[in-house]
Amino acid sequence: MFTVRALTGDIAFVDLPNAAQDLVTLTLSVLIESIGFVIFGILLSVLVQVWIPDRWVIKVLPRNAAARRMIISVLGVLLPVCECGNVPLSRGLIARGFSVPEAMTFLVAAPIVNPVTILTTYQVFGFEDGIFVARIIGGFLIANLIGWLFSQHPQPARLLTERFSAECTVVNHDHSHDRNTKWQESRNLFARESAAIAPALILGAFIAGLVQVAVPRAVLVALGSNPVWSVLALMALAFIISICSNIDAFFILPFASTFMPGGVVAFLIFGPIIDIKMLVMMRTTFTTKTLIHITAVVALMSAVIGFLVNFYA
Amino acid sequence: MPDLKQYQGLVLIGVMATITLWLAATGQLELYISPRHTIFAVTMSAVGLIAVTISAMHVSPGPPRAVRRRVPRFLSGAATALTALVTAAMTLLPPATLTSATATQRDINSTIVPADESTLLTDTAPDAAAANLSLADWASLLRQSTDLAFYDGKTVRATGLITPDPDDPDNVFYVSRFYVTHCTIDAQPVGVPVYLPDWNSTYDADQWVELIGTFEANGSLSSSQAIAVAAQTIDTVDEPSDPYIYR
Repeated sequence: MFTVRALTGDIAFVDLPNAAQDLVTLTLSVLIESIGFVIFGILLSVLVQVWIPDRWVIKVLPRNAAARRMIISVLGVLLPVCECGNVPLSRGLIARGFSVPEAMTFLVAAPIVNPVTILTTYQVFGFEDGIFVARIIGGFLIANLIGWLFSQHPQPARLLTERFSAECTVVNHDHSHDRNTKWQESRNLFARESAAIAPALILGAFIAGLVQVAVPRAVLVALGSNPVWSVLALMALAFIISICSNIDAFFILPFASTFMPGGVVAFLIFGPIIDIKMLVMMRTTFTTKTLIHITAVVALMSAVIGFLVNFYA
Repeated sequence: MPDLKQYQGLVLIGVMATITLWLAATGQLELYISPRHTIFAVTMSAVGLIAVTISAMHVSPGPPRAVRRRVPRFLSGAATALTALVTAAMTLLPPATLTSATATQRDINSTIVPADESTLLTDTAPDAAAANLSLADWASLLRQSTDLAFYDGKTVRATGLITPDPDDPDNVFYVSRFYVTHCTIDAQPVGVPVYLPDWNSTYDADQWVELIGTFEANGSLSSSQAIAVAAQTIDTVDEPSDPYIYR
């Protein structure tokens, strides 16, 4: 592979138009940016599912469901994986015995309530306009709300895709009977998680790149000074650009003078949880209907928090 | 018989990790991500490649497929074809920077780029200070002031790619670069406008040039830029090895 890439390095097989060339560049950029986190997330998922004893993962948490979710929503502090890596990690947590709402709570909270995101957001905004505080508290609240809402579902397992449910059954079965050595389990699991996540990552990166090439940025920026549209426009921007939560504060900083602070907050809360790339990746685990519900709740709550910040800031 | 789907994931992870390592080895990773993230990307790609190799050598049959397919076959086929196409493009196309198409699409100088405070000019700053300004600095200054008196006597020296001004593409172009925080997804185009009637008879869009000139009132009637550089010299140059301005 390395040889093929070395041989083809500077050969222009086709002369692509600028927009198509940029689509390739943007897609590749997202993939290179994400691949390290995805590999890290898959390895953590393997670690959680195969190597960490039950008493560390499940039994140490409080028995009360709400308290458990609150603790889980700050697990991102201990497992600071970027949002792309949180998908395989969440799959690992479900396979290991977390309930579906608990894994959702982690998936929603971890990109925001983690040390890297907290530090970069504070570094960029400090306490100005309440953006930093609103983001961290907002992310925590939305994660717990999502967890509580889906815990009311009579059959939470139906929130998962049938394929992933079947895989969980097999993983638990394998684990309980210890058919393979832990190393063999780890190898198989790495292969299975790669098969589930890698195609989704590539498709998500491609769609994110395609939308970036197709939607003029000026359309969104033009809406920035309106208290309502600034929130909605920046949520749309967050959805489109699919940027990593660890650095989104740096990205949005130049827009801060154009958009109202509530828009910036909505961008910083909505984007890490829901964007094109994440939806495609989450579809490996959750049904389309579940994702629509999650997206609706997160969008609504992000917008409400954004409007409140605009009103009070 | 191992499930080929399992190998598909390993192959894709392997391809992405290998390309990352190859780009790093050839010094081209910075065309896609910030140098600050190189170590993490390279380390995890190397780890991933090792994991892929070990998994591929010992993978055993996967879980039984007792799952009813809900995705229509044509959609599944299209997704697989698209994945293959993207993978082929990653593998076969030469590495490239963003072009003027994205610069135009993202609207040059539409956002404020933090300038290096040590190089910001004041009315009383010596003209020589202008020689140290980057394109990002000039872009910041242009957002602060279009008063010609402020720029009087200060010479612009900048290297960037030619991006036509969408308001007057025949007579005005930008010497532009992308300001990148993390990766090209967040790239913001910055640049200085140059007024040169019928410029595209001499230069091409996306050509890299070195510009020397001074700001004057923009002679274009349709451009939205109040002032533009009147060029003393515009020399074509090769694309630099560090085409982006990294934060």
